[in-house]
Amino acid sequence: MLKKGLSVLKYLFVLLIVLLSLGPFLWVLMASFKTNAEILNNSLGWPHSFRFSNYVMAFKIAPISRFYINSVIVGIFGTVLNLFLLGMAAYVLARFQFRFKKLLVGAFSLSLLIPGAAMLQPLYLTVNALGLYDKLIGLIIVYAGFGLPVSLYILSSYFLTIPKEMEESAYLDGASFIKTFFKIILPISKPGFGTAGVMQFLLCWNEFQFAIILTTGNQSRTLPLALYYFKSQFASDYGVMFAATMVVIIPSIVVYILLQKQVVSGLAAGAVKG
Amino acid sequence: MVRKNRGYITLFLLPAVVLFIIVYAVSLVILFGTSFTEWSAGRKPVFIGLANYIQLFTDDSDFRQSAINTFVWVLLQSTIHVAIGTLFAIILSMKEFYWKFARTVYMFPNIISGAAVGMLFLVMLNPDFGAVNSIVRLLGNADYAQNWFMDYATAFFSVTMTWLPYAAVVTILILAEIAAIPESLYESARIDGASNLKINLYIVIPMLRNIIGTCVILSGTSMLQKMDIILMTTGGGPGNETMNLPIYIYKTALMDNNFGYSNSVGVFLIGFGLIFVLLCRNLFRIGSSQN
Repeated sequence: MLKKGLSVLKYLFVLLIVLLSLGPFLWVLMASFKTNAEILNNSLGWPHSFRFSNYVMAFKIAPISRFYINSVIVGIFGTVLNLFLLGMAAYVLARFQFRFKKLLVGAFSLSLLIPGAAMLQPLYLTVNALGLYDKLIGLIIVYAGFGLPVSLYILSSYFLTIPKEMEESAYLDGASFIKTFFKIILPISKPGFGTAGVMQFLLCWNEFQFAIILTTGNQSRTLPLALYYFKSQFASDYGVMFAATMVVIIPSIVVYILLQKQVVSGLAAGAVKG
Repeated sequence: MVRKNRGYITLFLLPAVVLFIIVYAVSLVILFGTSFTEWSAGRKPVFIGLANYIQLFTDDSDFRQSAINTFVWVLLQSTIHVAIGTLFAIILSMKEFYWKFARTVYMFPNIISGAAVGMLFLVMLNPDFGAVNSIVRLLGNADYAQNWFMDYATAFFSVTMTWLPYAAVVTILILAEIAAIPESLYESARIDGASNLKINLYIVIPMLRNIIGTCVILSGTSMLQKMDIILMTTGGGPGNETMNLPIYIYKTALMDNNFGYSNSVGVFLIGFGLIFVLLCRNLFRIGSSQN
């Protein structure tokens, strides 16, 4: 009896979780094909027909394509810069002993404990002073830095799993430090970089709080901000608002489904234990 | 080898150190330094000692409400949120027919941006056409239909519900840890006659102490950043009902241009986070060996 009750509870719980996760998403998808009148009068039903005009309008009313391009640029370069700089640093930290190493590791780990919100005004000041306010390059540098603790952790854990003999034999063959790193270490570390890269890309793609204080106007804003600023523009045209929301969400879902394995292992690896 | 490589070591570390200095070190110095000043946009900071902090704690009801809300949300997130994620991980680990589908779908709200989640809930809870009110009316209880985000009675609860159930990160971390428990442990427990429930209660959960502690820290500290969903749905209102410390920092710094004061809130936020992390590490004895 108890066993049966527990298993009913279990299925109810799973059903609830699935409904909560999928429900809002499916409802907005359905509504994105409706007219205003349909949305107001038939909020829960199917649309009369699957019209794509709301999507066309979303791109017309709002410069969504501009935001898209910005998000792609910031996502790609923010990830490449982060992986390149932290890949080098993580390699040295994982492999060599040197003076100030403890101090450096301590400082880097401290960055994990600083909530981004606390740095809003100081970062605004720094980026302004560097002449990077409202420029994509400003966002790229800030995101590369903001992803420092997680990338450093994932990459150095990965480097630690590579046997030292790999490099020793490279040195014996006369390869230089630089050549060993780029020709031997980087190629075998692809999975580590894949994991860190996906985490970093999602960070760049979804980031909101720095984007909102480091940009102004439409020139260098990214997709998450698009929704925030268009909220009022769409106030009277619900169908278009739903379409715009879907346009922002769909790429994240597609990327996630394609890279599911990397994302899941990345999250598991990104848990900073202790 | 070390001597020969010293130049390379510096060369490889330098860019990351520069990045760290630009993003973190300079910010921290500015944050602490100016939190003791009266400073607004276009003016020079003037040293005023502890005045900002004194005002925060004695004469600022918006700050008090933001701090209380942040505290409550950290508490909810590190208990209920983690519990939901852990329970779901244990259910998924039984690998019944739906487990891969359920795990994938559960990730959706966690993988899309907070602004998009905020938008989803904003329209779901819209008083005119939102699905929630439509369902409420369909069930015949029109009295319960309301403006969820703008009503004092429901705003805090509604905002909380936009993140409390979505603990997929916790679920993934705990699933990974459960997968690492050796099969032989389950087998010997079964031979001794333990039921599934007992195995989970007495074997699996105690072995997860470390990772649950990590999840409590990750989930709790994520609440010290939360800004996008709140700006998207309520903007901190009605009144200051759903204000938290990040929104308060944003408002004092960029809308009131009150930099010094805003940075003293930032210092408070960091201190709050540090205390929380230290408490959790002691509570879950993270880092100490498992037995």
